[in-house]
Amino acid sequence: MSKVNPKFATELKKYGSDDFNACFNCGNCTATCSLSTADSSFPREMIRYTTLGLEGEIKASLKPWECYYCGECSTECPREAKPGELMMSLRRWLTAQYDWTGLSGLMYKSLPASITAFILTFVGVLAFAFNSNFDLEHMMHVGHMFEAIAIGTIMVVIFIPNIARMWYFTILQPKVKVPFKKYVSSLGEFFVTMFVQKRALDCDDNRFRWFEHFILVLGYLSLLFTTVFLDWFSTEYVAVNIFGYLVSAIVFIVTIDFVNSRMKKKKAMNQNSQPSDWFFVVWLFLMGLTAFMTRLFIDLDIIESNKWLYIFHLTILVQWALIIVPFGKWTHFLYRSFAMYFAKLKEK
Amino acid sequence: MKERIGVYICHCGGNISDYVDVEELGKMFHKEENVVIAKDVMFACADSNQKDMVRDIQENKLDAIVVCSCSPKLHLHTFRGVAARAGLNPSNYVQVNIREQCSWPHSDHPREATVKAAGLIRAGINRVSFSESLEDIQLTVKKSVLVLGAGVAGMKAAIDLAKSGNEVFLVEKDYFVGGRIAQKDSLFTTGQSGKQIVALLYEEIKKHSNITVFTGTTIEKVSGSLGNFGIDLKVKPRYINGKADKQAVKRAMEECPVSVSDDFNFGLTQRKAIYKNYPEALPDVPVVDAELLKDQPDFVAKFASTLNLNEQEETISLIVGSVLVTTGYDNYQPKEGEFGYKTIDNVVTLPELNRMMELNPEKLVHNGKQINSVAFIYCVGNRQKKGDNKYCSRQCCTSTIHTSLQLKERYKDIQMYHVYRDIRTYGKQEILYAKSSKQGDLYLKYEEKEMPVVEKDGKATVVKVKDYLTAKKEMEIEADLVVLVTGMVAREDSTHISELFKIPIGRDKFFNEIHPKLKPVETVIKGVYIGGTCQGPKNVSESVQSSLAGASKITALLKSGTVAVDPIIARVDREACTWCGKCADVCDYGALKVIEVDGKKVAQVNDAVCTGCGICAPICPENAIEIAQYTDNGIESMIDGFLADVQIKEKEANAGEEQEEVKVGMKEYPQIWKEILAGMTDEKNSIPQIAENSKLNREVVTYHLMTMNRYGVVVPAGMDDKEMYFYYKRK
Repeated sequence: MSKVNPKFATELKKYGSDDFNACFNCGNCTATCSLSTADSSFPREMIRYTTLGLEGEIKASLKPWECYYCGECSTECPREAKPGELMMSLRRWLTAQYDWTGLSGLMYKSLPASITAFILTFVGVLAFAFNSNFDLEHMMHVGHMFEAIAIGTIMVVIFIPNIARMWYFTILQPKVKVPFKKYVSSLGEFFVTMFVQKRALDCDDNRFRWFEHFILVLGYLSLLFTTVFLDWFSTEYVAVNIFGYLVSAIVFIVTIDFVNSRMKKKKAMNQNSQPSDWFFVVWLFLMGLTAFMTRLFIDLDIIESNKWLYIFHLTILVQWALIIVPFGKWTHFLYRSFAMYFAKLKEK
Repeated sequence: MKERIGVYICHCGGNISDYVDVEELGKMFHKEENVVIAKDVMFACADSNQKDMVRDIQENKLDAIVVCSCSPKLHLHTFRGVAARAGLNPSNYVQVNIREQCSWPHSDHPREATVKAAGLIRAGINRVSFSESLEDIQLTVKKSVLVLGAGVAGMKAAIDLAKSGNEVFLVEKDYFVGGRIAQKDSLFTTGQSGKQIVALLYEEIKKHSNITVFTGTTIEKVSGSLGNFGIDLKVKPRYINGKADKQAVKRAMEECPVSVSDDFNFGLTQRKAIYKNYPEALPDVPVVDAELLKDQPDFVAKFASTLNLNEQEETISLIVGSVLVTTGYDNYQPKEGEFGYKTIDNVVTLPELNRMMELNPEKLVHNGKQINSVAFIYCVGNRQKKGDNKYCSRQCCTSTIHTSLQLKERYKDIQMYHVYRDIRTYGKQEILYAKSSKQGDLYLKYEEKEMPVVEKDGKATVVKVKDYLTAKKEMEIEADLVVLVTGMVAREDSTHISELFKIPIGRDKFFNEIHPKLKPVETVIKGVYIGGTCQGPKNVSESVQSSLAGASKITALLKSGTVAVDPIIARVDREACTWCGKCADVCDYGALKVIEVDGKKVAQVNDAVCTGCGICAPICPENAIEIAQYTDNGIESMIDGFLADVQIKEKEANAGEEQEEVKVGMKEYPQIWKEILAGMTDEKNSIPQIAENSKLNREVVTYHLMTMNRYGVVVPAGMDDKEMYFYYKRK
């Protein structure tokens, strides 16, 4: 026996979606979805759980992650209930549930909180620059160190506990029995999803979107690798340098298209951009661009007279690493990969 | 006995003649006694043949005709018309069905089909020889109408009837007009209040001097028939002195010391012994509950000049030409314990909630507790697999959803749950359903086999439902108020009304029309019409539509002052009749009464009431009753004719195989063939061309060309370029 809880719908509306109450359960969304299967059908089920407020069922479900938001369901919905947007909001809500710090939920629900965080980090970077007397070499050294340390810290302090929580909610709590062997044998699914997101290929919309995502992920991960491990900004190797230019260019060029389609709002998935979506694409763009420019200025030897550029780059980097990666939309990339892995574990 | 009979046997373009040897039958019956003409025709219904028949009748002085073709449902009136045009009384025409009842079902056995057709035709000839000329019965009718029930349907119909020049008697059982809609302060889809509509209609009624309104009035006796119904009314007294000062009446109402539960508000409030249903109720005169004032001599004495407790019941007799019954419906009353009704304090019905909302405009309160959540349970007392209420009340879904929107609008912070079986907000009402979803109402679907349960859980009231939209998950809804959406049932006294007027009622106790599509407001009793929800569930606008349909039918009926009715009715042989009364007992319509003729008691048929159903004829022990056109002689001769021996020459070869060689022995093609042939202007004609040239429907042309081809009138001449159509040319 489950209690009907209409308050959940009110809570979820803070995460973006607000039209799902219009649903009259025709099931067109599920029928039109190319990813929904007999064994794992959505989005109607998720809409139903949301309107009735079955929080437990949603928390234990991996289905929101199985959706790649092609938007077909929203286009076909006779009641304009925007099921696609609901799935997106559920992903945001789930992210907030997995996050033990509670900061994810706070920032999703409150734009002022997010803006405060961005301002604080900016002030922090300025203070640091002032403190280092605007010594560029020192700043770049610390910046490089920061990257490596931030990755490690966030991984240990935020991601590992959060993924453990996700595992607890979706596997342990619903009492799904998984033999240890399966944890190992299913690892392939995890890596394939993380890098290729091959499921998105089954989506009804075009392959171009998948391709864009694919090279963006590759570009982004390569940029991370190039800057952190190959120390792109101070490298002497021409090959590394050119590779750095290439991947940072990929990042900001691809994101231009993303920003553009969010502004044009032609497709269902682009029609309801939340602040978290904007922060993600804009900061990714800025990161690629400022990294590219910084290295360019270094190569042209005009960086000393344009220290502001590096400070700007550093601000973006810090905000990205401390806000967007651990508590923002970046986590979707991680949780989705794990969701596919856990879904594989749940398979009989 | 008829001695000059004409018999026409139709080929029906092969439909009959492919299996029944019509040519041989024509030759055979030509030799029959009393038959002057017997011939086979290609299409009996063709215009050319109809003209031939008229000529035959006139030239040969035929006194009866038999057409052996298709079902009388198709062409009975066609050939009655032929008889009439030839100056022959249409009653002297008999149609024999040798298509639906012979050639089609027996296409496997052509020879036996021919034998059967011969029997059927001989039966028809025998029957027609006993036929007699009958004329329509003309009745004089009075241009006055009784409208029974002054709800929205009756009031609106009364106004229309009065406008069309009829005298109208509008009779209402309650002391106030308006019926059920007065209890609803917001009607979908306009949100208008029922009382407002009642006030508007009443104002209009008062403008018409030819409408007389009776309230507190019941029907005691109904006699007579179409054109002249005798109606006895019983008018209950209001016990208010007609000459009393209005202020004094008002004071008496205020000071009245006795209160009882108020039925108009379903017992949610108390009313005085001198009361009106609601302050603006019409007519604007209160009613005294005299029983309650028995023990109040002081009060009665104080208002002696205002009250008139000695007033007596009055009986009034009316004569009306026609009756429109608009007695409306009752709300289904849940049984004690049905979904916790009467056993759990916060379970009410939808009509009760509607009253509560009107009585609590600011804050919705029940039993002193503010209501913040409402759970509706749909289809209570309706759509039952077991039980008599199998129907859907069709207006309750929309009514509930409209109420839900009103709840949100008035009380803002309130959550609604709809536990439903199916949502039927048909037509334009669908918009309300969408609105309700969008305002955050939750819909959970149950099925009859797994009914929701209303329980008390500590202080809270919960509805437990297996939600069919969530894989039958058991859901629990906590609600401050559980509202049972009760459907419509027939009025408690519908059986009584049905007995008074002899209107047939169904198992569900609603009145039955003759035909839901073709005679939707007519009853089998001539002159008695039904409108509104006494016929079955309807919403307000549908009710008014049907009562206005009834009003129009009545106006048309009474307009000329006379009415022609079918002459096929029962007749009594007064010599044979010994008046045992058995016929009157079985007659559903009360058409048979006893009269005295020359000191002898005999049965008398009321021509206006008798429907010719024939139930009285076989019950009569003296065989003194017969039905016109279905006389004993006629029927017996038909049986004899059907059983008589038939000698038919067998055709030399199988009819099916020699189709190619069939020569049409037609003197003339049917009119439509002529038109098609006229449309064939070129050597090669496609179907669309012919259809356009002859201004005929393309499908009709296709069908006839196929038949014409079969009879060698036309032949195919290839296909067009796109191979879409055959070309045809004359042979």
